[in-house]
Formats: sequence, structure tokens, C-alpha cells
Amino acid sequence: MPEAATSSAFATQGLRTNQGAEETVRQLLRSLLQSGQVEAVLALGKTGTDGKGVAYSLFTDPDAFAVDGEAVPLLPYMPANGGGLLSRLTLEGSLPGPVAAVIRPCELQAFIELMKLNQGSLDNVFLISSTCGGVYPLETGLEGHLEEKLPAYWRSIEQGELDEAARPTCRACESFAPEGADITIALLGEEGLDEQCSLYLNTERAAAFAQRLEGTILDAEPDGTVLERSSVERSAFREALFAGVETGLKGLVETFGRCIGCHGCKTVCPICYCQVCHFDSHECEREIAYYEGELQRKGGLRVPPDTVFFQLGRMAHMAISCVGCGMCTDVCPADIPVSTIFSKVAASAQATFDYVPGRALAEEIPLRTFREDEFAQVAT
Amino acid sequence: MNANAAVLPTKEGFEPAVIQWLKEALNRNVFEAVLIPVETPAEDSFAYLLIKDPKFLDLASPLPPIMPVQGGKAIGRLTMRGDLNKRVAAIIRPCEARAAIELTKLKQAHLTNLTLITLDCPGVLPLSDYLDDPAAGAARFREAVEQDNRSPMRPTCQICHRFSLAEAPATDLHIGTLGNDDGAAVIVPGSLEGERILAQMGLTEDGDESGNLPEMLERWSTRAEQLTATQTERRSEAHAQLQEQVAGADRLLDIFGSCINCHNCQRVCPVCYCRQCYFESTALKLPPENYLARAASKGALRFAPDTLLFHLGRASHMALSCVSCGACEDACPMDIPVGQVFSLLADGAQEALGYVAGRSVEDALPLVAYEMDELHDVEQAYVEIYREQEVQDA
Repeated sequence: MPEAATSSAFATQGLRTNQGAEETVRQLLRSLLQSGQVEAVLALGKTGTDGKGVAYSLFTDPDAFAVDGEAVPLLPYMPANGGGLLSRLTLEGSLPGPVAAVIRPCELQAFIELMKLNQGSLDNVFLISSTCGGVYPLETGLEGHLEEKLPAYWRSIEQGELDEAARPTCRACESFAPEGADITIALLGEEGLDEQCSLYLNTERAAAFAQRLEGTILDAEPDGTVLERSSVERSAFREALFAGVETGLKGLVETFGRCIGCHGCKTVCPICYCQVCHFDSHECEREIAYYEGELQRKGGLRVPPDTVFFQLGRMAHMAISCVGCGMCTDVCPADIPVSTIFSKVAASAQATFDYVPGRALAEEIPLRTFREDEFAQVAT
Repeated sequence: MNANAAVLPTKEGFEPAVIQWLKEALNRNVFEAVLIPVETPAEDSFAYLLIKDPKFLDLASPLPPIMPVQGGKAIGRLTMRGDLNKRVAAIIRPCEARAAIELTKLKQAHLTNLTLITLDCPGVLPLSDYLDDPAAGAARFREAVEQDNRSPMRPTCQICHRFSLAEAPATDLHIGTLGNDDGAAVIVPGSLEGERILAQMGLTEDGDESGNLPEMLERWSTRAEQLTATQTERRSEAHAQLQEQVAGADRLLDIFGSCINCHNCQRVCPVCYCRQCYFESTALKLPPENYLARAASKGALRFAPDTLLFHLGRASHMALSCVSCGACEDACPMDIPVGQVFSLLADGAQEALGYVAGRSVEDALPLVAYEMDELHDVEQAYVEIYREQEVQDA
């Protein structure tokens, strides 16, 4: 069994380094690779000869984390949900040795959720996460515009706020403090992130791994007022965002009317793990008779059919586990606010079952757990 | 077959004329249903609708400003499981018809009882440009069409040289709008079925009241020929430039460097018909030891891996059937010029094998048909390499 992390974002053991957040993380990962304490690190990196692309990479070379190395572990960008990638990495077997991953809270939640769905293994995965100030939309990464955003990003984060240009999904996120990480990097609302950084070492191996870092021992959690304020602000934003989308059938038909059927939302969704989606399966390839029957009944039908059916079906399949990471909205070529709609429905589904996806491995997915004493009102 | 062409009466304007004609065809039971783009309820996009009730045709748009779903794909979905029992007319653009023809050869669509009706295509706007402001997009599209201006269109439309079927209509009917002013159009049969439909609709040369059909046809084919020449030149210039940008693995890695592996390109591609793409199959899902070893050998492994392999693999799977429609590029959230790159690869591959994707159901797919007498260049080169190797080995 993997070592159980505490369910809190902050253990009582903390370390304040006298280097900036980025330098601290780079130094930590570099030393872990150099000493052989980890075999590899999954983190964001720049790609291409021009360094303009950003993708997750499995780094084994410590130099990637040098000051001018290609790794950019704290870049506010999510080209893929890292939780889904960790599942892909461990799908065919447990890791043979320790691998560290630097991911955001929603990525961590997705990974935990995927573990509950038996889509990989936690063994030897060393999770590093941070209090999250959100990421920028995918399109910001094009033409190098992401670099321009970074000063505003770091400024906002120190003030405990989210840059207005961050993804709406992130501005509406209420789960921005990671639970279950070995190390939590305190970013949100922390002052002087270019010259100091607080790490919370939540597991014994985290404490061991951080030994090479120099700094002062912290014996208290970070000041909660900033996180509290951010939570209130994000909840208000969330409410307004949810109010802006219709989840009734008419609204859904209108909004998903411009869906082009690429199913990119499903492909990038970390929770949608099926090898072949039901809605791409033989089952959903309609016979001629189906079209003729519908034509007879309605006088006209959309081809390809089942556009809203796909969305509702996918929602029914994954809403209880939806971590609200926003990848679906980001990838949609038709600019449909998929994530807002899914999060709104997910919030209500999850509240019904009093469930928080990806919070702790021990919390079972409601649809996989039978409880005799629930939903009496439905039974009568 | 231009001799049997007819004039499409367009007093009310081109689009209303086509719709009126289709309504009449439905009423006369020439067709029992029509597959045509229709504006969505929110008026922010278009979708293919299979229509039996003529009232829905009032919402139809034969030449919408965008291509949210490739019509070949729509035809594939409709007929993948067998022949239609009802006579259906599909109003589509030339690249969509070419895709439908490729899918038919690949046994993924069935054209029985399906009448393909194409139109001279001015191109379509990039989906994202249009969605920013649909009303403004529609206006921009109309203006560009009036001015014969392809610059606001999708990059693949800007370099499209198969936008008309003046040379050889491969579809049952082709509606030609080029060369004649005021939305006047000729309707040209490309098959016996097309001729039969024109006769049934009372549209024959004899029925042309103005008596100027031969002149209209002449103006249409002259203009289409001119434009084809211009566009062909534009295409080769663009491809020559692109060739420099993509030559070699490093440059390809740069072009596809921002790919996020969403595979939207493959999903919207009309000729990528596999239910389960090889590159999403369990064949490429490997034990962690494999990924770690690959990472260790290079210092880093992009993860998920095999991004460029996916694009090159997909190209090798479908380039011979690629119709250069640009649907892939439209669906790419990272603005990768994937449609342009694939059109370059496709042109080279198809030229090497003397094949034009979607030209005709009669042309056999090159990899299906064996010909003794082809590709001698490659053969020769291979023999030379082989001999050299043999000598070295000896």
C-alpha cells in the first residue's frame, strides 16, 4: 500500500527556504534526480527548438531543472490534466521506483479519482502540489503570450488573488488547496515569492526528500485568512458563472447546438477513461432504419445525430467524479462553456451524495457504494 | 455532360432559388429527403439536417459561412450501415463530396439512393473567427464571396484548387455560380441520375426561356478555369513555403510542439473513419518501465508520448484519401496548421501514385489496386541501396 498522505493540505511540519518559489522547486527536483531518490519527474516543460510549446514531460536529466533548463514546473498552464497523465503512466503496472510529479490540486484530485476507478497505481508516485492561483487558457500559450502574463500572475498570487485573465473555471474553483500531496508548496497569498518559499511536508518521505533543502523550520500552518478570502471570492464568481449557463433541456439544446462532434471534451477529460466511449461505440452507430423512423416522426433530424445525447450521457457517466479542471472548455473548438455546465451539474450531483471527488482515497465513489438508508424519498 | 445542363432560375437570389428548387423536388417526390446545412436554434452555427418536411428548408443554407461538420462525415454517419431506402439529395461542397466518395471506396458510406449535389465553393471562414461574432462573420463571408476574396477564409480554402467541378463533375449535379452575375446559376449533370433529375424537374436546355444557357455555361467554365489556374499557382507557392517550414524532424517537432493530444483533428477528419484510432489503442499503452527507459535514454520524454508519431502515423494512414478540406485545422485548439501540412503531404502522396482523392468512385484506391507498372523511381533507388548494402555485407 502507498504511504497514506494526510487529508490536510498543510502538515505541521514546514520548511521556509530563502530562495524564490521557482528556484526552490527546481532545486528540490534537481537534487531528487541527482541523488537518485526519484527516477524521474513529471512536470511541465518547454518543447520544440524555439521553446514555444509547453507540454508535460517525464524528466530524468537533473539539468532540466537548472535555472535555464527546459522544465517549467510552476508555469500557470495546463496543456493536459496531469492526473490523467499519471494514470496513463501507471495504467499497465506500478512504477518500479519513485517518480515525483508536480501537479495542481485539480490534477491531483483527478488522479485520486482515477485510482478509485482502478485506472493506475499510486505506488511510488510522489505528489508535489501547491495552493493554486489558476492557469491561463490554452490559447494564451500560443505565440508566446503566456510569458507576458507571468508578472501579473505572480503579483496576483502574492496578493492572494487570481488574475482576471486566468481561466473562468479556475476563478470559480473552490478546491484550490491540494489534499493528499506529499508536499504542498504555499503560493497563494504568500509574500516575497521571488525570495522565499514555504513547503509543507505532509509525509515522512516528503520530510526525507526535502532534507537537502536549506531553510527554517515552520511549525504552523500558513495564515488562513487569505485562503479564506480567496475561497469567498471564488465562490461568488462561481455562483455568477453558474447563473450564466442554462442546464434545462432547451438551454442545453441551444448551447450544444454548435457542438461539432469532435468529442475533444471527452478525450481530454481525465475522468473519461474508457478505451472506447459508449457514444463512439458500435452501439451508437445508427442503422438506416433509425434515420428513417426519426424522419417519419419529426420531419427532420440532425446528422450526425445524438449531439445533446452525447453530452448528457457523458455527464451521467462522469459528473459524480468531475473535478472541474476545465480542460473540456479549453479544448472546445466551438467555444462551448462545457466545464461550467458540467461543473454546475456535478456540484449538484456531488452535493446530493455528499461527495467530494478526489479528496481522499478512502472515500468511495457513491455509485459504487450501496447504502441501505439513502434516498428513501425515491424509494416510496 | 455540360450539353444537358440547365439554368437554375435565380430571380429571388441564389440561396432562395436553391431552396425553392429543393422544395419543389420534395413536392414532386423527386427526392424523399434532403441533407443540407441548417442554422442552429441559437443562430450561432450550422448543422446538417436530414429533412423530409419542406418547412424545415426555410431555415436551410446551401452555402453556409462555416463548415462545423464535414458533409462527407455526415454522409458517412448516415449511410455507414447500409444503403438508403429513400431517395435523398445531399447539398454539399466539393471537398465534402470528395470525402463522401473516398468513404464509399473505403466501404464506410453507401451512395445508393443518394444524389450528390455540389456547388461552386468560395471557401468557409475559420470556425473560431465566425464564433467570435456570428452576425459579423456572416456579413464578412457575404462580402468576401461578392468580392471573390478568399483571404478571410480558412487557410486550406485559401489554397483550394478543387472548388468547382467545371472540368469534370464527379457528382450527380453541380451548381455553377461563377462567371455569371446577379446570382445566376447553371446546373450541370455529372451522371445519368443527374440528367434524369433535371428532366423530372422540367429543367432542360429547351426549358431555358432566356435561351442564353450556352453563353452562361461558357462564362462559367471560363471563369472556373481562370480561378483554378490562379488557385493552383497559389497552392504551389504556399506549399513550397510550407515545405521549408516542415522539412526535417526538428521543424516538424516545432510545428506540432504545442499539440495537446486531444486528437480533434482525427475525430473531425472525414476520412479518418476508424472507430478506434490505432494511436489511441492499447497497443501504445505500455508499462511504466518502457516510458522511464525512453525518458532515461534522452533525458526527458514528452508525456503523453508519441505526439509526432500520431500525426505522422495518421498522415500515412489517410494522406492518399485526404481531400484537403481543413476540418482538422478548424478543430485544433492550438492553432496548429495541421490542415496545411496534411494537404502538402497529401498532394505529394497522391501525385506519386497518380491519384486524386474523391475524384471518382471508379478510381481504385492506390493501396488497394496493384499495378505492375508504377513507382519505378522508388524501385530503382531501392535496388541501388540494396546492391550497395549487399556489397558492404559481402
